[in-house]
Amino acid sequence: MEFVVHNHSSYPRAGETEAAQRLRRAHTAWECGDITAADLEAAERVEMTAIVREQIEAGADVVTDGQVRWDDPVSGVMRAFDGVRLNGLRRYFDTNFYVRQPVVTGRVRRRGPIAVGDFRQASAVSQRPVKVALPGPYTLARLSVLDNATYDGVPALAAALSEGLAAEMADLAAAGATLVQIEEPAILAHPGDIRLLRELLEPLWAARGAAQLVVATYFADAEPLYAQLNSLPADVLALDLSSSPHLLATIAATGASKTLALGLVNGRTARVEHPADIARQVETALHRYTLDAVHLMPSCGLEHVPRATARAKLHALAAARRLLAATL
Amino acid sequence: MNRAVLSRLGLTLPLLPTTSVGSLPKPPELLAARRRYTAGAISRRELDGLAEEATVFWLREQEAVGLDVLVDGEMYRSDLVGFFAEELDGMALAGLVRAYGNRYYRKPIIQGPIRWEQPITVGWWRFAQGHTAKPVKATVTGPYTLMDWSFDEHYGDRRAACLALAQELRKEVAALVHAGARIIQIDEPALSARAGELPLVREALGVMTDGLDAYWIVHTCYGAFDTVYPGMLALPAHNFSLALADAAVDWIAHFAAAPFTADLCAGVIDVHAHTVESVDTVRARIAHALPLVPVVGLWAAPDCGLKTRRVEDALAKLRVMVAGAALVRDQQDSGGSGI
Repeated sequence: MEFVVHNHSSYPRAGETEAAQRLRRAHTAWECGDITAADLEAAERVEMTAIVREQIEAGADVVTDGQVRWDDPVSGVMRAFDGVRLNGLRRYFDTNFYVRQPVVTGRVRRRGPIAVGDFRQASAVSQRPVKVALPGPYTLARLSVLDNATYDGVPALAAALSEGLAAEMADLAAAGATLVQIEEPAILAHPGDIRLLRELLEPLWAARGAAQLVVATYFADAEPLYAQLNSLPADVLALDLSSSPHLLATIAATGASKTLALGLVNGRTARVEHPADIARQVETALHRYTLDAVHLMPSCGLEHVPRATARAKLHALAAARRLLAATL
Repeated sequence: MNRAVLSRLGLTLPLLPTTSVGSLPKPPELLAARRRYTAGAISRRELDGLAEEATVFWLREQEAVGLDVLVDGEMYRSDLVGFFAEELDGMALAGLVRAYGNRYYRKPIIQGPIRWEQPITVGWWRFAQGHTAKPVKATVTGPYTLMDWSFDEHYGDRRAACLALAQELRKEVAALVHAGARIIQIDEPALSARAGELPLVREALGVMTDGLDAYWIVHTCYGAFDTVYPGMLALPAHNFSLALADAAVDWIAHFAAAPFTADLCAGVIDVHAHTVESVDTVRARIAHALPLVPVVGLWAAPDCGLKTRRVEDALAKLRVMVAGAALVRDQQDSGGSGI
């Protein structure tokens, strides 16, 4: 059995140390017109490198770029589409984090690669594989406001976004990405749309080339949808155990038909989990698990905790992996 | 609609009262002083002295702009939740967590039983009210938002943490009422975070305000109002201060589906935009809200605190807001004087 420690998506781009304040200060300076866009871009590059190294030092086998360049994942993707205007702030699910709400004003069309440049930059400074995490078409459509009659509802908009994200998937695979995560937390509030989600993911699945497709849900209980999630077109299923109190028992009882990425440390709490407790959960999940690998992950992006806590949670996952490797 | 409450409290406000939500930009010298204080280079007394100067500056500016209900500008506060977390026993501050874009806050941790030891904002409210003849609105972060925006390592239960905060914050608002505050705003930006918890918000605000005589405003912003409306009207509030300018959704049209039974303080200024709205934009935003509530129940304010803007930009935004309100006021038949 292979145990893979795998960061989820976002990583805090500011921290308590002087060095970890540099990007925050650069943004402020840029907003005030004191530095150029090129200066800000350079600061982002420095911080991305620091964040990649920090994840590796903490023990992650798969890292992300921390989504350093994005104000938030929703606007980060949607600003790359024609036919979209970004409006005011809107709470991101039930978190204390706000995103710019997309307003769809016309036909949506991806203008060009969204995350390929950041993937290349992160890969250039990482000795470990870099995963790209993107919000999925269903969730993006659910979080958008339709401003005209171009699309008659979520399914039509989501289908158009799926087309654009499939092109992105192909570009990422061509750039060498081996793991691309599509995040669909919104499906948990609308379980009746699971067939729609399956249809929306098909183009991305077909475009993935040599990359593995991770489908992630979080922020709500995935247990009622667990069987259907296993039937989605995906190589890896990422699940938030913190929000799904009975999911571990279900996995133990029924196994899995996809490689699982278990969200074992809560990306929304300050308390750092104990490696032995994490390892015990993994052992429980493996009761009927017949696949070759299991991924150990945070429950969601680590943006929601302070940087030192994010680092400590990755450390805890790595320590749990060592315990598991020694005993299984 | 709640003019009788204001009247009972001895407050006579013009038609379409204008106010600011709470926070105003800290002058650069105060920001620098806060950094020096954090570094241990100046004393708390020196810092408070500069915060007092900045408070007086903003009171003079608000008077000059022509606002009807003033705020102290929160020159002494770090942010919405961190300030109260530092003052309440049982809470501490964790590290920086991003709220949006490049904005961060120090997320509190509830580490033990929450206890209110002494007045937190009362001295500042007294100081501000002592420097102006206009009414100064007191602002207190609500228990639901303080709970929702904190890590909880003590109660382990959202309801228990929220109600504990409500019981302790009641002591703060009681002290404000005792000190003479007649308009008190409870800031609950997390109000719509989990629509299923609206009854908890109602219970907590009831614990906090029941039997205390004030004109209660509940402020909330950037939420999914559709998930809590019209249920939120059952909260113990005379007035809802809502972010409406910075929204892709026409909330006024949405609210019209049910009688809006409270006063409305309409957000008519986008506090996150660098550009200053035109007077006509503000006039149109206020006019758009007019059909929702009787004109005597309509107020105008920015969407949220203006602290993220520069001093001159915040002043410019407040000026156009007052000018826009004046245009609408002039269009009304009531004559524009006190009602």
